[in-house]
Order: sequence, then C-alpha cells, then structure tokens
Amino acid sequence: MRVIPASIRLSAVGCVTPFGDAAATHEALLRGARALAPVPVQGLEGGDLVPLALLPGRALDETAPPAWLPAIRRLGDGIPGGDWGSPGRPVFVTGSNFGVGGLYALRKSGDPKYAAWGAPPTCTEQLRGALGWGPDVSIVSLACVSSHLGLLEATRLLQAGLAEEALVLSFDFLSPFVAGGFHALKILNGAMPSPYRERSTGSIGLGDGAAFAVLSRSGGPWKLEAQSVYNEMHHFTANRPDGSGFFRCLGPVASAASGRRVWFKGHGTGTLEAGRMEVAAATAAFPGAPIVGWKGSLGHTLGSCGLVELAIAAQSLSTGRVPGTIGGDEPAMSAAIATEDFTASGFDGVVCASNAFGGAHGAFLLSHA
Amino acid sequence: MPDPLSSRLKELIVDTLRLEDRAPADIPDDEPLVGGGLSLDSIDALELVVRLEKEFGIKISSSEEARSALGSVAALAAFVRQRADPARLPL
Repeated sequence: MRVIPASIRLSAVGCVTPFGDAAATHEALLRGARALAPVPVQGLEGGDLVPLALLPGRALDETAPPAWLPAIRRLGDGIPGGDWGSPGRPVFVTGSNFGVGGLYALRKSGDPKYAAWGAPPTCTEQLRGALGWGPDVSIVSLACVSSHLGLLEATRLLQAGLAEEALVLSFDFLSPFVAGGFHALKILNGAMPSPYRERSTGSIGLGDGAAFAVLSRSGGPWKLEAQSVYNEMHHFTANRPDGSGFFRCLGPVASAASGRRVWFKGHGTGTLEAGRMEVAAATAAFPGAPIVGWKGSLGHTLGSCGLVELAIAAQSLSTGRVPGTIGGDEPAMSAAIATEDFTASGFDGVVCASNAFGGAHGAFLLSHA
Repeated sequence: MPDPLSSRLKELIVDTLRLEDRAPADIPDDEPLVGGGLSLDSIDALELVVRLEKEFGIKISSSEEARSALGSVAALAAFVRQRADPARLPL
C-alpha cells in the first residue's frame, strides 16, 4: 500500500468524453443524459449489441492512424504551458488500452500500418510526436487504477523536488478487441448498466474517454490531499470475496478526511458483487457521505476512468453541483446512493475511488485549494 | 448408464482446461465446478463458456447466468439441455 498524505495542487484538469469537454460532460450528467448506446460488439463485423459510449462520429472499428487522434489533439490543446516532457515538467501517460486494438487489427489483416499504435511504447511515442512533448515521458498502466498510479508517481516526483510541474494524461478508446474481451467475460452484455442498484444480473458499459491533470508544487484551484493505492494480489479478475481490499484502500483516505464532510465518487461499473463490496466499504469509511457513480452514463473508461472522473469531480467542486448516480430505477444498494444531483456546498471535498482487475484499488481526497 | 450429455460435458471440461490429473469420469455430477474440488477460476470459466457456446450453439448472457450454469455438471447439463438445439446434443 502506498499513501501520500501531503497536499499537492492541481493547476489544470480536463477531459473528453462523448459529451465533449469536462464542462459539457458535467452538464450532461446533471441532466441525467446517457452517452451509452447499443453497438455491435465486433463493430462492422456485427455481433451482440452491447452498451458502448463512443465519441461522436467514431465507429468502433480500428483505423490507422486511430480515429480518436483528433480528440487527443484537442485535449492536448487545452493543456496549459509548454515544455512538457522536459526534466522539470515530466509527463506520465496512463491508461489500459493504448492502441491494443491495432494489434488485433494487425493480426487479422496483416497490414503493418496497425503496428505503429499497437503497443504502449509505440503508441506513446506516436502521441509524444503528435503533442510535441520532449523525451521525459513515462508510461504507467495497471488496469482501471492506471490514472491513480500516474497521479501518485507524479506526486512523488514533485514531493522529491525533481519537478516543478507534472502532467498526467490518460486515454482509453474502445475497439472490437477490448469490447470483445469484456463481452466474453459476460460482464458486458445486452443490458444497460445500473451502478449500485439491486437487480438480478449485473452489466457494465464501456466508454471512450481521455483526460489530463497538471500537478504543481506552487498553486492551483484544487488540491489532492491524500492518495492511497492497495493491491490485494488475489486473482487477476477478482477481488477477495470479503471485500477487505476496498477497506484497506479507503482507510488511509478516511483518516485524512476525518472530521470533514465529503461526498464519495465511486467506481460503480454496474457489476453486482464489486458494487456491493464498494458500497459496504464506502459507507463504513465515510458515514453519511452521499455516493455517486457516473459510469451508467459514460460507461467505464477503463484505465482512464480515474482521471476522467477527477475532471468531472473538479468541475462539480467549481460549479457547486454534483451529478447523481446515473442509470436504472431498481432499488439502490444503500440509502447512501445519491440518485439525484445535489449541491456541493457544505462539503469539504470529494473522495474519488477506482477499482481494478486483480484486486487493485485507488482513492484520493480532492478539495478546493 | 451415464447421461451422454453429462459425459460429453466432463470431456469438454477436462479437454478445454487441460486437467491432466483428472479423468472425465472422475468428475462427480454434483461437485461445484467453480470454487470446488476442480478449483476452476474465472478465467477457466471464461474458456469453458466460450467452448460451450461453440459446441452447443447456446448463448450465456451474463456472468450471473454463467455462474449458475457452472454450478455443477448436473446443473450445466440441465442448462444446456434447456437451451441447445436437440440435434446438437449427444445421443
């Protein structure tokens, strides 16, 4: 377990989802809009319809260069400052997919054009060129807590005095390979996700998403007050059935938030077992905190979800309105689940949590600076 | 006489999961497949479900349904018999 208690500032955050930037996404969530829509799981090759949230106009099918590249460029245009990728301003690229769909397309078609984006190092190198970064770029990837680890590594660098600012950028765009994998596990199926709802079968949705955060030692409108990661090392698709990993991760953040009123942005993919374990741990660690989850609208943006949802949480702090949990009308797993939007006034901050395959967990406390 | 479908399912389990220390006939009809003596995990279950869908032309729609179907060989046989085209079942 790694816990960073000291405060680090966030000077800028941003994201792109099918709704647009962080402001547009936040506004859509307040309206209760759903970006998820039924899409054939194998794209042009068809297959079962599953809930996916794709960027407007983007097909699921793999292309080279990737069809999502313009979206990343637009996101990059919104990152303040320059000299990213220099020793004093390192970049951490996080995510879980990178261009893995390209490897599948390469295998199927034999066309070498797909190789350039297919693996994390090659994909990151392409991205470095596209966004004009220098060579000081690191890759951090651990499934759905990738962004949390990237934030943590950036924080450590700043705290060690080895950088003035650090950029964490995360992106995960869907492909038939990725959607097909979750579909084979049967957790991505024909049903729309209903996070934190009691229903007979669980289901998730998947979404395109990318985001960035600029961490600074000097200033910024938000601060990361505590970060915690914990890996159960239990099984690469499962949490310990007693839910202990959720408690272990949230405990240190709860200590940091002691005596303060927070709301809780959960992982909430729509699976039943993990949802129940997360709610049990969150209600124990943060009694009285309203719990929200936004993947019922945006889908699960995988390794990027932590950073995408950080951008939306920061938008909530700035605007004073917190979108409620999206999706489903079945009974909630707990009275703590907020199904309607609410005011952020009266709260001291938000705890954002993500959970991943392998029993990996991440959480941080975000507040106004 | 053993149920032909149950026998075939046991063969599929041993073959798909490459269980070198178990003969198909050694798998009891009522033994839990996941979390039981076979110690199958979620990845084993994934491989098995994919094989079952191909062999019998059935669809398993959710992880909860998969878990229920994989309760035991007997449960799996009942599930397959209910869903599959009878022409694809062993005689």
